[in-house]
Amino acid sequence: MLRPLFEFVDALPSSIALRESVYGYTALLTTHVLSMCLFAGLVIMMDLRLAGFGNKKTPISEIQKRLFPWQTLGMVGSTITGVLLFYGQPMRYYGKVFYWSKIAMMILALLNLLYFHLRTYRSVSQWDTDISPPMNVRLAGIISLVLWAAVVATGRLTAYDWLTYR
Amino acid sequence: MSLLPVVEAIEASRISTVMRQDPYFSAVVNVIHLLGLVIFAGSILIVDLRLLGGGIKKQPLAQVARDAQPWLIGSLILMLSTGIPQILLTPTKQYYSQWFWLKMEILPIAIIYTFTVRRMVAQAAEGRVRPVWRMLVGLVSIAMWTVVPICGRLIGLLS
Repeated sequence: MLRPLFEFVDALPSSIALRESVYGYTALLTTHVLSMCLFAGLVIMMDLRLAGFGNKKTPISEIQKRLFPWQTLGMVGSTITGVLLFYGQPMRYYGKVFYWSKIAMMILALLNLLYFHLRTYRSVSQWDTDISPPMNVRLAGIISLVLWAAVVATGRLTAYDWLTYR
Repeated sequence: MSLLPVVEAIEASRISTVMRQDPYFSAVVNVIHLLGLVIFAGSILIVDLRLLGGGIKKQPLAQVARDAQPWLIGSLILMLSTGIPQILLTPTKQYYSQWFWLKMEILPIAIIYTFTVRRMVAQAAEGRVRPVWRMLVGLVSIAMWTVVPICGRLIGLLS
């Protein structure tokens, strides 16, 4: 179903230009790693607090408020470079189990994030300074840690030819 | 004296050969290195943002730095222990990579800087260090810790 779309993008002149440029891939991948550090690094700092593993002395709402703009910046950077990396080589990723696993993990991580912020976070004033927050809060942090780690791992593994189908 | 014979001897050594023969070894080490990098980046940035005057404000800088410390040290150990096997795995490739040598020059400086200058400034009593110096210490930290992963990525891409 998606294959014709991937093939269509693959044949676009701009996609070919990106694929064949000498430093395009290198520059994009390096920027992707740096913006990932900004995004995932600071998301992990928040998750460690939620899970009750670290940064325990700081109110949760303070971490949320102060790190959010930087997490967003990292997210925007990773998304732009990620989309461009995909745009340049759609057929390289089409048959990759690790690529689709990464997408699936990202969707799950975003659902977890949405649920946490739209539901769980409403009662933040009751557990803002808890060293070990309530179980549903800790769980949101642990799930986020596991999913983003899986996103990073499966992203790195797309570089290999394992589990790749034509 | 040239390092090349030593590098070639490492490449021909039993440990290097055994590691190369396992098709998954290098990938697993690489993934762990990257996960370590992300944790490291978070624990560096949470303090550097504060040094720059952004980031967490309701908490003294010294406390933010103390809270980040175990994650900083833990992830650094994780990266060193997955970085060394990567050198042993492909020593000749590393030897010929200008990015490897640049990384090896900046990395020790960055580590020493982080655990001396940056640590002292982060632990200093509030108001003892002028904001302009605090910002400079944060900027130098971010700059060095940005160059190190760039070099790391480029060893793999441009060597």
